Amino acid sequence: MTVELYFFQPLGTNSGRVYLTLLEKGVDFNERELDGRQFEHLQPAYLKVNPKGQVPCLVHDGHALTEGMTINEYIDETFEGPPLRPADLRERWRMRVWCRYSEVDLGRSLMMINWNRIVPTFVGARDMDEVEKILESVPDPDRRRSWRAAFMQDTPQEEIDESHRRAKDGAGRVEKHLTTNPWFAGQSYSLADIDFFNFCGFMARWMPELVNEKDTPATTDFLAKMEERSAVKEMRSRTKGMRTTPADEQTGQQKAG
Amino acid sequence: MELYHWEPNGASGRAMICLAEKGIDFTSHYVDLLNFEQHKPDFLKLHETGEVPVLVRDGEPYWESSYLCEYLDEAFPDKPLMPMEPLLRWEVRAWQKYVDDFVAPSVGDLAWAAYGVPAMKGRNKKELDAALERVPTKERRDVWQAAIAGVSDMQLSVSLERVRKAVRKMEEDLNPTGWLVGSDFSLADIAAFPYVNYLPRLTPRIVNEVDAPYVTAWLKSVAGRPGVRSALAMARTDDPFAVAAPGPEHVRWG
Repeated sequence: MTVELYFFQPLGTNSGRVYLTLLEKGVDFNERELDGRQFEHLQPAYLKVNPKGQVPCLVHDGHALTEGMTINEYIDETFEGPPLRPADLRERWRMRVWCRYSEVDLGRSLMMINWNRIVPTFVGARDMDEVEKILESVPDPDRRRSWRAAFMQDTPQEEIDESHRRAKDGAGRVEKHLTTNPWFAGQSYSLADIDFFNFCGFMARWMPELVNEKDTPATTDFLAKMEERSAVKEMRSRTKGMRTTPADEQTGQQKAG
Repeated sequence: MELYHWEPNGASGRAMICLAEKGIDFTSHYVDLLNFEQHKPDFLKLHETGEVPVLVRDGEPYWESSYLCEYLDEAFPDKPLMPMEPLLRWEVRAWQKYVDDFVAPSVGDLAWAAYGVPAMKGRNKKELDAALERVPTKERRDVWQAAIAGVSDMQLSVSLERVRKAVRKMEEDLNPTGWLVGSDFSLADIAAFPYVNYLPRLTPRIVNEVDAPYVTAWLKSVAGRPGVRSALAMARTDDPFAVAAPGPEHVRWG
């Protein structure tokens, strides 16, 4: 009965959502950290585990599970520990809607903005031939298109502008929801809180003009409440190489914890 | 129990099939998408983005067809449409997500290019512009605006590539049981059918008995189920798989 999790540091977004879920449930698991900056997830050894070459991947009793949101429901259904999905079915439906919103609607807009900020710094001293080789080794065509667009810095400006518009719209929508609901699903803490925290929580640091104490007090309280959870503290203590702001990223500075 | 829906295809088809398969009685409210009834104020009170289907139970609305169907399955445990084993339940949800993220927007493009674009031709431009004005969110307005302008060849080729890949994946997963997950009909089949059933006519070179024997056999066995038949019989058009509304947005960053 072994549980292994393949993930990237620093813990956040897709890797963070599953890592935090395992900690919340108190599941013992073996850490399999991959170095995304060295493209370890595209190496043959990992492609044997997950042919899509993406993280996170949970290997439980020899079965490799991908897709963060569905992994998290699997974890909640399979392991002992506090339930992370509301017993109330309307809340459970709402949890799923917010999980998708955090990951796909708001999350991908933030991802587009951030990849366009960060990925060029991955290229560093690599020449274009090497970049092409890396791109060719990305198995998933959609993921390859996004990597290419970020490497080449050729995402149309109007797309990036639209992502900024959605980030702003999302910050307002979330604030409105959290003003009347203690948690995303409603009354109970759930996978939706884990997802928003991991996909969008960094807005407070990266986009302080959108998420701050004055304009979004309920979101700020929510994020503070999350930081108080012992599982989140544990995840923070195991997080390596966290970049606190986009400026740190660009100058290559890293900060632990 | 009330359901606001369009034709029994796409996302509406999922909810209608799920209700019929579970044998749940419901009041049907037909929302004519091509006449923009989904953007009328009364409907927006139920769901502010103006999208179907919406299920109303005890006065509470439910949308997002994958989660709406899972809600129904949880609220009405008779005739379960989810397997018992956690690993198979993971597979069902992974299929739902794959259809939501890749198959639905891609089939949506192909179906819109074949059926929607011709249907929009000859419509009064002023009326269309006024209809666009009433789309409640920028996200959906952009989708409608792009749809009315027509689907680009580049977008069609991306969508075709995704459909080809999805059919290959289905051929693998349908072998050997004939269902997408495990040995029974499930929410995975309900998630995929209302999109994939467009493909024999839209992409006959991909979905035919020789190149995709499992998919063509699966389409027949799904369509032959009594529940599915009764859902399809609720169509108001002659053929719900020869009409289309713009699909969901593609995931914007892969």
